[in-house]
Amino acid sequence: MRWYCLNTNTHGCRRIVVSRGRLRRFLWILLTLSAVGLILWQCAELLLNYYSASVSVTVQFQKLPFPAVTICNINPYKYSSMKDYLSELDKETKKALETFYGFSEGKSKVRRSVGEWDSAGSDFFKQIPLLKFEDFSRTATDLRSGQKRKIEGSVFHKDSSIVNSGDSNDIIGFQLCDANNSSECALYTFSSGVNAIQEWYKLHYMNIMAQIPLETKEKLSYSADDLLLTCFFDGLSCDKRHFTRFHHPLHGNCYTFNSGENGTVLSTSTGGSEYGLQVVLYIDEADYNPFLVTSTGAKIIVHDQNEYPFIEDIGTEIETAAATSIGMHFTRSRKLSKPYSDCTETGADIPVENLYNKSYSLQICLHSCFQKAMVDSCGCAQYAQPLPAGAEYCNYKKNPNWMYCYYRLHEKFVKEQLGCQQICKDACSFKEWALTTSIAQWPSTVSEDWMLRVLSWDKGQKINKKLNKTDLANLMVFYKDLNERFISENPANTLVILLSNFGGQLGLWMSCSVVCVIEIVEVFFIDSLSIVMRRQWQRAKKWWNDRKRDRSGKAPQAGELERQGHDNPVCIDEDLPTFNTALRLPLPQDSPLPRTPPPNYSTLRLESAFTEQLPDTLEAGQR
Amino acid sequence: MNLKKYFIRALHRLQKGPGYTYKELLVWYCDNTNTHGPKRIIKEGPKKKLIWFFLTLLFASLVFWQWGILINTYLSYNVTSSLSIGFKTMKFPAVTVCNANPFKYSEVKHLLKELDRLIEAALERILQPTPGNGSNTSSPPLDLELWHQIPLVLIDEHDKDNPIILDIFESNLAAGGNETAAGNQTAAGGNQTAESNQTSEGNQTAAGGNQTSEGNQTAAPPAPANTTSEEKKYKLAVKLCSHQGSGNCTYRNFTSAAQAVTEWYILQSTSILSRVPLQERIRMGYQAEDMILACLYGAEPCNYKNFTQIYHPDHGNCYIFNWGMDEEALNSSNPGAEFGLKLILDISQQDYIPYLSSAAGARLMLHQQKSFPFLKDQGIYAMAGTETSIGVLVDELERMGYPYSDCTMNGSDVPVKNLYSQYNTSYSIQACLRSCFQNHMIEICGCGHYMFPLPEGVNYCNNEDNPGWAYCYSSLRSSIKHRQICIDSCKETCNDTQYKMTISMADWPSEASEDWIFHILSYERDMSTNVTLDRNGIIKLNIYFQEYNYRTISESAATTIVWLLSSLGGQFGFWMGGSVLCLIEFGEIIIDSLWITVINVIGWCKGLKQKRAQARYPDAPPTVSELVEAHTNLGFQHEDAGALPRDEALPPEPGTPPPNYDSLRVQPLDVLGPDSDAETE
Repeated sequence: MRWYCLNTNTHGCRRIVVSRGRLRRFLWILLTLSAVGLILWQCAELLLNYYSASVSVTVQFQKLPFPAVTICNINPYKYSSMKDYLSELDKETKKALETFYGFSEGKSKVRRSVGEWDSAGSDFFKQIPLLKFEDFSRTATDLRSGQKRKIEGSVFHKDSSIVNSGDSNDIIGFQLCDANNSSECALYTFSSGVNAIQEWYKLHYMNIMAQIPLETKEKLSYSADDLLLTCFFDGLSCDKRHFTRFHHPLHGNCYTFNSGENGTVLSTSTGGSEYGLQVVLYIDEADYNPFLVTSTGAKIIVHDQNEYPFIEDIGTEIETAAATSIGMHFTRSRKLSKPYSDCTETGADIPVENLYNKSYSLQICLHSCFQKAMVDSCGCAQYAQPLPAGAEYCNYKKNPNWMYCYYRLHEKFVKEQLGCQQICKDACSFKEWALTTSIAQWPSTVSEDWMLRVLSWDKGQKINKKLNKTDLANLMVFYKDLNERFISENPANTLVILLSNFGGQLGLWMSCSVVCVIEIVEVFFIDSLSIVMRRQWQRAKKWWNDRKRDRSGKAPQAGELERQGHDNPVCIDEDLPTFNTALRLPLPQDSPLPRTPPPNYSTLRLESAFTEQLPDTLEAGQR
Repeated sequence: MNLKKYFIRALHRLQKGPGYTYKELLVWYCDNTNTHGPKRIIKEGPKKKLIWFFLTLLFASLVFWQWGILINTYLSYNVTSSLSIGFKTMKFPAVTVCNANPFKYSEVKHLLKELDRLIEAALERILQPTPGNGSNTSSPPLDLELWHQIPLVLIDEHDKDNPIILDIFESNLAAGGNETAAGNQTAAGGNQTAESNQTSEGNQTAAGGNQTSEGNQTAAPPAPANTTSEEKKYKLAVKLCSHQGSGNCTYRNFTSAAQAVTEWYILQSTSILSRVPLQERIRMGYQAEDMILACLYGAEPCNYKNFTQIYHPDHGNCYIFNWGMDEEALNSSNPGAEFGLKLILDISQQDYIPYLSSAAGARLMLHQQKSFPFLKDQGIYAMAGTETSIGVLVDELERMGYPYSDCTMNGSDVPVKNLYSQYNTSYSIQACLRSCFQNHMIEICGCGHYMFPLPEGVNYCNNEDNPGWAYCYSSLRSSIKHRQICIDSCKETCNDTQYKMTISMADWPSEASEDWIFHILSYERDMSTNVTLDRNGIIKLNIYFQEYNYRTISESAATTIVWLLSSLGGQFGFWMGGSVLCLIEFGEIIIDSLWITVINVIGWCKGLKQKRAQARYPDAPPTVSELVEAHTNLGFQHEDAGALPRDEALPPEPGTPPPNYDSLRVQPLDVLGPDSDAETE
């Protein structure tokens, strides 16, 4: 031990051995120990902070790829061509409006129409009865029969959780029942009839649409020629060939500009409104479905070519009779994946099948997860999301129960009980186009005349029907500047830096290195182990001998003796001559050491400490 | 003196041979160095010696490898960014407001009269389904000279392979159509139509009065309505020729007639307007007192005189608030609309040029003080009849310059002449790109484009002086190569400030307040009791700081020289407990061994000579090293002992020559004099 302390490169140990005076030695031991403690603490700190990331933002000015721009009409299908499918439903809806609100007809008429109703025998109200409640009294007027009846089952308030609807006299809602077990019903109430009617209509609408094959639906919706009047990109004309059709379940036919489907992605090398995409859209307000959508215009979304456009979730709405200019600013971010943060690079490690044919995103995962749960528990797929393999969309005929099931499931999903939010992780890298939207009047009053005339000519058909400016929307999407901001996380620490920080700590407190650590291991484990082993061996041997000779009480004494004079002989035995000499050399000097002033290089440094402590030690010595 | 002594000693040493061997040197070094490994090597037994030797080697190589990594990291000049968000008193941004329409139509009417009549007649012909409705019989003859400089043509694509190109004002259009039908697509076909244009032009100019009747005759073929009810077969294109009547023509096709008409009108009008002197153009634009009706900054009233006028080619007269050119920039120390800028503008929509800009509104932009507003890039619209509120967040990015990133502080190191410096504005990437384009344009087309500032001694392009400018401009504009050159030569600025805007709108004025507001504003402007304003012309703007008004991303170097040194030291310390002093020690050893080598080599050469001279001696005389070898061990032990108590506890064996390696080099030092003297002499 002493040998180690003297010969080690670590500074403290040597001090301990070399110091004279008990107090000083004690001080040194304390200091050394605290230094060791400090080192351990700091290194632990370093280790804990190892998985931290630093963020760097780079800005690069360069030619930028133009994003894909998906444009939809807010109204999914031409109302005129949907008549065949929806006429029944619309009739019912109108009747419902009449009965509840006296819409469009007088009161006397209402009563008559109610009378007619019973004979008509509507399917829609049989499926989902629309109810009017009176004062939370748990009685409701059934629209169809006009009877009042007691409502049982749980009541879900879609709106009333926020607004205190206790004062409102009438609440309207609908009831969904489990078809297998009719006593189990869920009641959805709305404080406003607008929401109730729309929600109710939407349910039926989805039902009907789920039965129509995709090809038919695409035909029912708008064609590229219908939607796009003019197109201009980067100073050049473009036409419908630059757009890719994309059928969205809720928005019908959408058209994606620069979808990269033919392998080339357009890019812009100049910023500014002239060099972006300029489109004039034909909205055709007259052909809107009055119950399904209540606003007019178009929806656009700017996204990456590989991303699925969730236009219903994050689309931007475009006003008619206005020029909407959208300036983009491009930001790309990349996070570090495990172990730095909990994100996924490709989505391959997420146990949810990607139903969309696009690259992973959190939104895709959540929707896919919900759809999967839907198929599992309801047996059919929800209309707004793509179909998993082997499943089909829900409709009454096959799954009379699906609406109840869907609402229940949706409730769970929102309350995070399905576990989707836990399974799905966000993607590590994403591209973002920050949009600055502003609107100007278009066409201006003086140019309106010629503009509409020329655009009508462009439309090329029905020249007699002059376009109305409320049917048109002008859209400009352009890069504000070609600076791409790239926000990336970099590991703040690499192994190299960690090691050098360790080294710095070790060096600062104890002037120690890995060599010291190895020394410690060597001395304290290997050497002491061998010493202990040898001692045991010798003791055992002695004991054996003792036992062999006679069982007298001399053995322990001998053992003690052995132990006292042990260290050196053992070392000599164990280690070979050089070690021996090295070991032996300091020893002779050790004995005179207390007498000779400590010839240590550290003396210079610690002089002040010495002078202070000297009297103490002397006193201690005298005592 | 010392030097002489030193040389003498060195000479002696050379003659005598080295004081001791490599081995001694190494052992001594290992024993005395502060690096941790070597000491172990010599102090342990053979087995451990070996282990320690390899360990030391391993550690040394580890250290060097990691040093390499560290130095590489340093040389990659990484940066870390720090983000700060909050509110502080900041300079209010400069606000540029313009009218979307550059000139008052009433002022420029006399210049554009011919052009408007042309386009009206052309539209008439394109759009009218029935020929000869007699609407233009009374109008004076059209100025077809203007038309033929840049004609609009109609391309009949009934036959996809042989598109027929029809000039709208073609008198003998049937013939022209036949001719061009023979030709193929654009260039080849263009050749012939160009010729036919020439001939027809002669006809028309000669018989100007007849033109209308001829026009009526030929109006039938371009009228598309009858034929294109199911599919659009006619396209409008702008024909651009390098010289009028020359064969080198291209057709800029447009899928939409509206686009074609606008493009054509812009080309024509820039040609006309570029000949108008700047003073005149400023006069024709909107005047500050007409446009800015009310202004309030915080609680302080301001008026149109607080705005700096600047002429912007796209939007005519623009007015900049708080540009900071002459006076100090205003600070805003409170968030919220109360403390921002409130403006009421009049854009007088009735006075718009009908064909030039179809969108109506004010164009505004927030930008830094002393920078040029590039409204086409960064500007936003404000709609008439609304109140537009703009919450501002200043998004700053402060970057380190070279070598961390390739950006420029003030644009002085960019090889493009900044044409916008005549406005006294700071460098920006947009200014650089536009200057670059204009320079190319002047180089290739010989004249400057109207939209960009001019360098000295160059004129704007117009149809009279530069007949082929439109062709030249259009080819240059679509040339990817030229764009790329500009992108490559321009650098972004290191300090990038953006104003993130949260825009919201409401109808203004409300129906109830409409009357009195219009009345007051009209009265203030025109000093009359008549209401001269209406909903279509009036705009209210609120521009203010948001609650958090700045987001600053500033870069700092991830790796500094201090970082590098401490990491290097940490590595060296971690593996070997070494420091710079150890490196110096090592260097010393190398020098010493070199010295030994030199001495040895000289000795060997001498020995060779001697051998040759006195071949009878079979062996070389014993070297000093051999002699000294006898007491290496002793010396080593002694040194070891002496290492600890260096000063007083001198070894008890004074007789043996201490293998003091310092003697080799340190002769001039007199401290160790006795030893070395004893040895050398």
